[in-house]
Amino acid sequence: MQRIKKAFLSRMAYFLACPSLLWYVLFLLLPLIIIVSASIYSRGHGFSLISYRLVLTTAHFKIIFRSLFLALFNATLCAIVAYPVAYFIAFRAGRWKNALVMLLTLPYWVNFLVHVYAWFFILERDGLFNKILLQVGIIHSPLHMMNTLFAVGVVMFQVYLPFMLLPLYVNFEKFDRRLLEASFDLGAGWKQTFWRVMMPLTLSGAKLGFFLVLGMSFGDYVTPQLMSGGKSLFVGTVISDYFLINRSFSIGAAFICLSALILVSMMGVCLAGFKAAAKGART
Amino acid sequence: MKFLSRLSLPLFVLFVYALLYLPIIVLVVFSFNKAPGGYHWTGFTLAWFAELFQTTEIWVALQHSLIVAFSAMALSLVFGIMIVCSMKDYLRRIAEFFYLPILIPEIVLAVGFLYLFSFLKVPFGLPTLIVAHTLLGLSFAVPLLHARFNEMDPNVIEASLDLGASAWRTFLWVTLPFLRPAIFSVGLLVWITSFDDFLVSFFCAGSASQTLPLYIYARVHVGITPVINALSTVTLVVSCLLVTIYSAIRVKLEEII
Repeated sequence: MQRIKKAFLSRMAYFLACPSLLWYVLFLLLPLIIIVSASIYSRGHGFSLISYRLVLTTAHFKIIFRSLFLALFNATLCAIVAYPVAYFIAFRAGRWKNALVMLLTLPYWVNFLVHVYAWFFILERDGLFNKILLQVGIIHSPLHMMNTLFAVGVVMFQVYLPFMLLPLYVNFEKFDRRLLEASFDLGAGWKQTFWRVMMPLTLSGAKLGFFLVLGMSFGDYVTPQLMSGGKSLFVGTVISDYFLINRSFSIGAAFICLSALILVSMMGVCLAGFKAAAKGART
Repeated sequence: MKFLSRLSLPLFVLFVYALLYLPIIVLVVFSFNKAPGGYHWTGFTLAWFAELFQTTEIWVALQHSLIVAFSAMALSLVFGIMIVCSMKDYLRRIAEFFYLPILIPEIVLAVGFLYLFSFLKVPFGLPTLIVAHTLLGLSFAVPLLHARFNEMDPNVIEASLDLGASAWRTFLWVTLPFLRPAIFSVGLLVWITSFDDFLVSFFCAGSASQTLPLYIYARVHVGITPVINALSTVTLVVSCLLVTIYSAIRVKLEEII
């Protein structure tokens, strides 16, 4: 009896894992499989690569590489800006530390969409930024900033920066401060201490933040949609156009597969870069 | 010169924080502005707040958002705890797989849901939203709860079982209290993710079940709408209050639960 009960309990254990696994299989793997198969199969054509032939055009590649360039630029800029800030919060902020960390998360209670919307007030022709620049006298006629790559970039930077800051801060939090002092005491300068001590020990956070920002900027829909006035110039907006407006599912699916392939290979390159950086720091 | 270089880091940090807060400050200021659609300050008014409280659409949307956020939170927490407690070491090998929904661009997930639900002919609505948000929630819940569970000394569970507590009792009195801090933070994270989510909702909400972000988008993408400014000011004040109350009573709260 005891043995039966035990066997039942251990079976029960696997039973408990089912809901989560079911969710992943049914709502993650299955849709992905459907998308891939939709890109090579359509009711009209059967199995064919015709959607890919329609997708492989310069216009599409331009869109993908524009998104990719912006995402890479944004992720790199976020990393460069986030390093000193995370360092400051963790080591120099003293009693302000908790307040600063809390202030990082507070904006996220206000909806993401609203953040993007707020930039209308700043970047429009008679918005805040132009007013200040005119007032100071740097420019004499208002700059045109809305609906440009610049506007999309600035907004993405502001919105995604905390996703780099928080993982980096978590890393710095665990970081033993005495290592820095030891490095300085042993005669290393700032540059050497950063590359040989600080960077290798915070690389995992930087990596996580980098890939988060890269992925989110690449597939972003809201920012390009609102900031470039509805012109479909980025991957996210083009995908949604294919599905919601044009209803050409198989071309959309092929476009998703193509851009995913390019994004994943770019991520692979970046991962190799991070590995090389870590290795370079060790030797 | 040395003074300047010592000051440069705090100044830089201040600048970054200013940039992070610039949009919110501008929004709040313009929620009190008289002009209905301009970028010029024309005088102080509370009219937009009055309009906000009279717009029933917003409150219906808020209700939908709350239903979805709390259901997604509850489901991901329950499913997450279930899988973490049952798979134990087996999970370690595949724990990173559970991050996948965060790493895949959200638009791909959204399109996937759209495909799946129309393929299965499931009508779009609050249930589809809850299902979709639960997947997003699980992508935090499983790895984070697993990380906390791993810190637990397995001997404690053994001891409890050896001393005659049933598996269920051990779970309630030993495992669950140990997981509590992780449950708190995961719950909050899932709740916010769901409450804030736009893209997935945009693709699989259907027309009858508008959530708050969908309402905001519908208003915002035609241009400046001061009611949305007023809404953000209210959200900000409420969340500030909640954060203050939470940090004031956190210790007590964790003792009770």
